[in-house]
Amino acid sequence: MRLSRREFVTWVAASGITLATSRLRAAQAARFDETQILPGAAAPRPVHGATGRIDAVAKVTGAKLYASDFRAADMDGWPPTTAHALLLRGTDAAHVFAGLDLSALDASAQPTKIVTAEDLARAGTRVPPFYAGDLLCPVGNTPLYLGQPVALLLFETFDAYDRARVRLRQTSPVKLGVETGPLAQPNYAALRFTRVAGDAPGAPDVYSPLMEGWISPGFFEAGGRPIWQPLPTSEGGQYKKGATYGDEIRAFIAANDPGTLVLDRSFRTQSVDPMFLEPECGLGWYDPKAKALQLVLGVQSPLEASEALGHLLGEATPTLRPERIETHFAHLGGGFGGRDHTPFPLYVALAAMFLPGRPIRLAHDRFQQFQGGIKRHAFEMRSQVAIDRASGRMRAFAADHILDGGGLANYSASVAAVSATSAIGIYDIPKVDVTTLAEHSRGVTAGSMRGYGVLQTTAALETLVDEAAEAIGLDPITLRRRNLLKAGGLTMTGNPWTVSVRTPEILDKLEGHALWRERALAQKTASADTLVGTGVAVCAKDYGTGADCALGRVEVDPKGRIRIFCDAVEMGNGIGTAVANRVAQFLGRMADEVSVARIDAFDALGLVTSGDPYVITQEEQDTASRNPRWVPAVSSATSASIGAHVGTQAAAEAARIILRFGMWPAALALWGIGQEDPRHFLWDEAFWQDGMLILSGLPPLAQEEVAAKAHAMGALTGAMAHAFSRWAWAQAAFPLDGLDWAADIDALAVRRGEGPFKVLDRSFIAFPPASYNRIGTSFTSSCGTLVRVEIDKASGAVRVMQAYSVLECGQALSPQVVLGQAQGGFAMGVGYALLENLPPFEDGPGNGRWNLGDYVVARASDLPIHALEVEVLPPVAPNEPPKGMAEVVMIPVVPAILNAIHDATGHRFQALPVTPDDVRRVL
Amino acid sequence: MPAISLTINGRAHGPIEVREDLTMNDFLREVLGMTGTKFGCGAAQCLSCAVIVDHADGTSSTMPTCIVAATEFDKLNIRTVEGHAKNGELTPLQKSFIAHFAFQCGYCTPGFLNEGQVLLERLEKSPIPRAELEGTIAEALDGHLCRCSGYVKYHQAVRDVVLADAHRFLT
Amino acid sequence: MSTDRRLLVILAAAASTLAPAASFALSALDGTLAAPETFASIADPAERSAAYFTELSKVLTNPRCTNCHPASDRPRQGDAARPHQPPVFRGPDGFGLASMRCSSCHHSANFEPAGVPGNPAWHLAPAEMAWEGKTPREICAQIKDPARNGGRSLDDLVHHIGDDTLVGWAWHPGGSRTPAPGTQQAAKALLQAWIETGAACPN
Repeated sequence: MRLSRREFVTWVAASGITLATSRLRAAQAARFDETQILPGAAAPRPVHGATGRIDAVAKVTGAKLYASDFRAADMDGWPPTTAHALLLRGTDAAHVFAGLDLSALDASAQPTKIVTAEDLARAGTRVPPFYAGDLLCPVGNTPLYLGQPVALLLFETFDAYDRARVRLRQTSPVKLGVETGPLAQPNYAALRFTRVAGDAPGAPDVYSPLMEGWISPGFFEAGGRPIWQPLPTSEGGQYKKGATYGDEIRAFIAANDPGTLVLDRSFRTQSVDPMFLEPECGLGWYDPKAKALQLVLGVQSPLEASEALGHLLGEATPTLRPERIETHFAHLGGGFGGRDHTPFPLYVALAAMFLPGRPIRLAHDRFQQFQGGIKRHAFEMRSQVAIDRASGRMRAFAADHILDGGGLANYSASVAAVSATSAIGIYDIPKVDVTTLAEHSRGVTAGSMRGYGVLQTTAALETLVDEAAEAIGLDPITLRRRNLLKAGGLTMTGNPWTVSVRTPEILDKLEGHALWRERALAQKTASADTLVGTGVAVCAKDYGTGADCALGRVEVDPKGRIRIFCDAVEMGNGIGTAVANRVAQFLGRMADEVSVARIDAFDALGLVTSGDPYVITQEEQDTASRNPRWVPAVSSATSASIGAHVGTQAAAEAARIILRFGMWPAALALWGIGQEDPRHFLWDEAFWQDGMLILSGLPPLAQEEVAAKAHAMGALTGAMAHAFSRWAWAQAAFPLDGLDWAADIDALAVRRGEGPFKVLDRSFIAFPPASYNRIGTSFTSSCGTLVRVEIDKASGAVRVMQAYSVLECGQALSPQVVLGQAQGGFAMGVGYALLENLPPFEDGPGNGRWNLGDYVVARASDLPIHALEVEVLPPVAPNEPPKGMAEVVMIPVVPAILNAIHDATGHRFQALPVTPDDVRRVL
Repeated sequence: MPAISLTINGRAHGPIEVREDLTMNDFLREVLGMTGTKFGCGAAQCLSCAVIVDHADGTSSTMPTCIVAATEFDKLNIRTVEGHAKNGELTPLQKSFIAHFAFQCGYCTPGFLNEGQVLLERLEKSPIPRAELEGTIAEALDGHLCRCSGYVKYHQAVRDVVLADAHRFLT
Repeated sequence: MSTDRRLLVILAAAASTLAPAASFALSALDGTLAAPETFASIADPAERSAAYFTELSKVLTNPRCTNCHPASDRPRQGDAARPHQPPVFRGPDGFGLASMRCSSCHHSANFEPAGVPGNPAWHLAPAEMAWEGKTPREICAQIKDPARNGGRSLDDLVHHIGDDTLVGWAWHPGGSRTPAPGTQQAAKALLQAWIETGAACPN
């Protein structure tokens, strides 16, 4: 089963540089058995079967797994010693950067080389469009944002680097010139989402983003703010039409009819750090003889990182342009979105290119990670809702979001869109108008982080709904129930959710729970020095991004052993375990080896792509799809909770094909069932139990026996597949054993016996229509949370004493991982509601002085670790597909806590986090 | 430069010359290449860098390595995450972490493992009443940060090692 | 020079008649500690004694001291006096809980590369010696009370504040920490002068 050689996938990107990725393997056989370095066939499992993570043994024995664990000496064929790079960042964004003063460094702390913006300009490097903005601030410019890098210092020895790092933390080497004030930059996104439902139930929408497209205003004030009004000369008729409907909705709310309750509230959320425990780091080596750049990285988006590196160096001067870039991707010590499209790998590559021949490591310490890592967007929101007092039905909703995107665009536009399209949460509201604006600021760049957009809007919405219930005199759960968006109903972009909708059951569960039923009693029995309150909130969270891919390759050997490769990244999400469990359903055995982040293992598919899957036209897609190797995108980031639903899809379909065309024919042969026997077609009714293939009325067959027979017969023993989802799977058919095998995949290669993989041409292909790009989301999973808080009157400290979260995620592929995600999401929700805060600008993380003493994340002592109940609803059907759940579990925790604080104190906090001082002030 | 000698996981290292301002974390990770001990914050606030120090009096405690000079570890006897399993056999605590799915990304695991192990060894010497168990575990582990798991399963994993062998750890 | 001294005298005299919080705010401005001679012009010994203590209280109410004389069992950290992270607690002997002793992190001396302070005896003052949040007048009463000062005589106090190396750390905290006002010697001199004039407490 073991790889006999290093496998590479290579492709030539638009840059002309050959990009290659390979499995990360270390040279240190003497210190660690390689099977412990990455999960492998020989790594012992504690119990055969589903117990324990695939990567568990490696993680409890300190095996080298993470990018931060690797040095040059650990790498096969690299020079043995490691140099070290220090990325210097400015702490001012209001003065001209006037250069470096390194006089604080004595002779023992001198860098070998200093790389500045001038060097990059001379070298002809290009900034990948996603990261637009100077990678290093040029002398004479005002930095774009606090913490913008100004130089890379390269040190040949660790000691010199270490001394310089400490010294320069104490004495900034950045010289400031004249004061310019912060730089003004254009907005990152300004979008408006308006929907007017038809008059009668079931009537078509009058206006929706799905019908008319997403719209953006064409005019801006001098300060950069968009003009949302439908100006007579507004750019394109499209905006004017939507905005006119939007303004009518606002006028309806403003009319404030006596039979209608109108609430108009503001809500502010703070910037926070993902605070994954492993600071970003990477290792690089440019071998000038081979003209090859090798890198060890830990990111959520391997393919994107590789291509960004190709773009960076694609047009560089010959001495600084590798012919080949080979990337090795490691496990992540946490990600939470913050390592999806991070610029960090670009700096690792630059360090290596500017110190050719020397392996070099760039690693953030925690101060630097706070200073330079991707943050969560701070939001300012205004929300208005109009509710019919008699029926408790929401008639109209309007909101305006302003997001602080920080210094670079990164994911700001996406966060803005997600925030707007999630603004009405789990509710069915016939008239909705939401504007969203992501602004540039001099703050640290904000980007992807767990639950982005929805976390912020749900905090505002679910506290607003709570307040509305109180104002109307309805029970908060009753008001929610009356307004639920039901299966088949339309979301605010005008499309339905296409997956199970379980919010009615979630509300039933919450309502029936003792924490809710006994909330009045709990308040009555509170001690004299405490206040007690109970809060509830519910959230539906999209998963997927509307252009998600999976690559999966499954092989069975003659002994029945299973090896899986997938492109998804292991960042704690348990993707390896989930994919192994899903494959086991088809192949009767937990994988003996799961190899993750392996975009290299699929060259047999020969995939090609073109265009941007999010904006491609139908015509372009139709033309491109005539090439049987074309797919809308090859590999996507491990993010947006796509692991279970998307990340496992290709491997699962590959396994299903091996069962149907490999294991099943072998079983038929062993049973002696011929073509004419009707049982020949009952493969779908066979199932695995304890390693045996069972079809009623026939002797069970051992999995090993079936596998051996499949190999002996030259039947199908391996399959690799690609899957693509744009709110629906691409579907294709492939000629297999005289059948046209249709499946939710768009590329397939198979092997027979021990033969090589051979790609199959599609006999049919249906990609999801390009118009689906107008959908906000059609995949959603939901979670409801109840919390009981106790507030110490003297200190104002809020303690969550008990909590209950109920969620649904279709088929839970790895129930223990789902439970762990729910518990971890709860902790992160408590931190966001009560503890974590990064102030904007000069006092914020860009100043380089932030660490975990000031930035407080939840510890066990902040959490009800023995009184947190998590319930996962069973799937609606045994074959319900898995749904993403890692983000949704964090979100309702926050408004539930705020609602509980209101229940205890009578005060509604409308800014996060709520600190003891805030609470004390209102008591 | 001073030279230090110490025992790590039963194996003697040194004398090795180190700078006085070199942290123990960098000594382990950069000098010895032993990266099982993690670097998280550099300020002893997450404790993913903690190792076990076995004292001459037979007691053990954890010590962060990211804020302590390597020279402070001269002549000490320490254990790291790499040294818990013997001949491929995992300890009961390692097995319990796995069976409970205690960790997700696993980066904080070395710290929790060391702290939990020290607690188990302490309880073995000085058993406590059953009623104090959860509180004792909570007190012992509270210095360790985990961003993925919400801590629940770590605490359950330590508790279940104790309860599986109650006469050894409890009065 | 003489003008400066006169100004200080006026400030000190004024401070003794002001509310304690205001006097701290006023005297904390410059980070220095006045010498006992500065107060020579105050004729009334009790008033002068109280003035010595008020001046000394610049030290006693400084985060360098109150962080480890905390109101709760958890010390504070830094110039902003935020709660210690990770959460650590006094423990039975003031040297931490069994699972996390002060000495796990705080060794015999400051370790500057990581900014961690150290002293061989790094520990918390006993609970009865908590100063955090108290006025100079309250601390004065407390510091004279053997039940709340560790059973010390007034002379023992001179030794504790004037010579103890852990106390002395407050004037040489290293890193980015602001030292306690003045010097340990100046604090000792004020304390001695206060005792010699009857150890009167400010109003």
